Amino acid sequence: MKITKLSWRNLWRNPTRTNVTISAVALCIAVLIIFQSMIVGLIEKAKFTTTNLVIGEAQVHAKGYFDDRSIYKSLQNTEEIRLVAKENKIGLVERSYGFGLISSGTKSAGTQFWGINPESELQHFDFANHIDKGNFLTNTSLKKIVLGRKLASSIAADIGTELVVFVQGADGSLGNELFYVAGILKNMADNVDRGAAMILRKDFDILFSANNLIHEIALNSKGRFESEEIQKLLSARIADVDVETWQQLMPTIALMTEKMSVFMRTFFSLIFGVAASLGVMNTMIMSTYDRMREFGIIRAIGTTPWRILKQISLEAILLTTIASVIGVIVGLSVALYFQKYGFDVSGSGNMSFGGVVMDPVWRGSVSVGIVLLPVVLLMLVSVVASIYPASIAARIKPVEAIHYKP
Amino acid sequence: MMRLIIIATCILFKIFLPNFAFASNLNPEKILDSIDDLYRSNTSYGILALSVTTKNWQRTLTLEQWSKGEDRHLIKVLKPKKEKGLTTLRVDNNVWNYMPKVKRVVKIPSSMMASSWMGSHFTNDDLVKQSRMVKDYTFSVTYEGEREGKNIVEISCFPKKDAAVVWGKVDVIVYRDNYIPLSIIYYDEDLQLSRTLNFTNIQMMGGKKMPTQMIMIPVDEPGESTAIQWKKIHFDLTINDDFFSLRKLQQ
Repeated sequence: MKITKLSWRNLWRNPTRTNVTISAVALCIAVLIIFQSMIVGLIEKAKFTTTNLVIGEAQVHAKGYFDDRSIYKSLQNTEEIRLVAKENKIGLVERSYGFGLISSGTKSAGTQFWGINPESELQHFDFANHIDKGNFLTNTSLKKIVLGRKLASSIAADIGTELVVFVQGADGSLGNELFYVAGILKNMADNVDRGAAMILRKDFDILFSANNLIHEIALNSKGRFESEEIQKLLSARIADVDVETWQQLMPTIALMTEKMSVFMRTFFSLIFGVAASLGVMNTMIMSTYDRMREFGIIRAIGTTPWRILKQISLEAILLTTIASVIGVIVGLSVALYFQKYGFDVSGSGNMSFGGVVMDPVWRGSVSVGIVLLPVVLLMLVSVVASIYPASIAARIKPVEAIHYKP
Repeated sequence: MMRLIIIATCILFKIFLPNFAFASNLNPEKILDSIDDLYRSNTSYGILALSVTTKNWQRTLTLEQWSKGEDRHLIKVLKPKKEKGLTTLRVDNNVWNYMPKVKRVVKIPSSMMASSWMGSHFTNDDLVKQSRMVKDYTFSVTYEGEREGKNIVEISCFPKKDAAVVWGKVDVIVYRDNYIPLSIIYYDEDLQLSRTLNFTNIQMMGGKKMPTQMIMIPVDEPGESTAIQWKKIHFDLTINDDFFSLRKLQQ
């Protein structure tokens, strides 16, 4: 207790110097907290944008569906999947896929037809809100079609354009129908932009002579569950299907977000850690040399080197503690502000990530780890930084020190 | 002087008879041409059954077809009812489909030329690339004689450098005595077997002796096949060029 009091008093013998150092360390902590929350916010945003748009956190397909995306590889035991989703209140949509030819006037293109249920897509996913022109499908828009933007421009289709659709049905027969463009989606993801033609599941069944074929079930809990948790829940109950997390479906984006997060956080922690430790070390060295004579005297009257070491380290710890409190208060309030309000970056054009266009408001994301990491890091760093000046003071020869002139 | 005459003769032979070197009186060029002309002559009209067998379904379409020269083709579905009137028109390198249900014509984009024609194992490209074998390939007789009890000739064709051909090699096997085809074997660019077209059921039809059935067997889809059975064929009728037009298609 005595030693703490002593350290505390020593700290304030040169208030200007101590205040400057405290400010510098506090600034480091505050900046680290704000910066990390923004990085994590960006990564989480990228993840959420990726999953919430069309993919979902996990998807179910018939075994081997991705080998050839054959219309015959449809899901069988969908009842059980629906049950699992319902029990855990996870959003679920069912989609049918088939390939065909789409044509307007003299232009035509190969495309992937999506048989969807507009109501559940709107409820659980976001892409239906990203309409560039016209409207998305409703449950009654029979013979209406919504196109990806690049697909629409490649066949020069606009709202109301009549499209001839030519496909091979599931029974081998050749289906042809007329559809009318109801809406054109904004650019969002390459596979949607270039190739998606969305129609009602009812229309899909007629067009492809299919009877309720479901090729994909996408699940989205909007962040309430980790994708791996959903995968586990489903795999435990349903065999003979492929359950993939979004990380497995989009490995490059998953890896990128992971690596980016680790790299950025490590990089900035290192820079600010080194800066803060140099500040602390400088202060401690200065104050040690200032008090050389003093150390000589207390050594002469029997103080152990260990005690001097402890005292100087304690001074560094006290200094960092004060700085931490200030840094956390400042950093946390700014980070919380950005978490709540964010800032609009739409001025610099579309913000996109891995081909997925993001909402232009950039928000921070605050968690315990984000606050704890800089505090613990700077505590450690300042203790380590104080060891050098402390060891100078501890190894001092009393006679020389008493005659030391700063 | 004598040497000069010999050299000149050799050069002349080299120029005018490129395949003279082969020690046989076979003319592979003639054989390939006869296969190319087998079902088409100057003009042709015919009715055929197209039977497609896949893992998931089996179906037969009855088709009516007209052709003129090498680059005009019209194929119309007669049966079944659902597809009746569905028509494919091919002029040069373009393919259009007419859809009777919606009364519209759709041009097949180049990106879909490699995909299935009418759900069969033939591609739209097969329809278009019916040019002369001798134009696109360099060829030589690689076998002549008995094989599996039949007296045959095998001609191996390799695509010319600038030819727009998807195959790496095509083997044409014909009967030695009448040049009627037995099978055509297609290899991909890595010279792996890709598909086999077998000709069977040789009959007199349209004044010609010809195989009236061919079966396409793709290698990568075991158990699947597409068979074409000619019911009727007539050659050298008078068909106007504008019969093969988009206007005609929509009538």
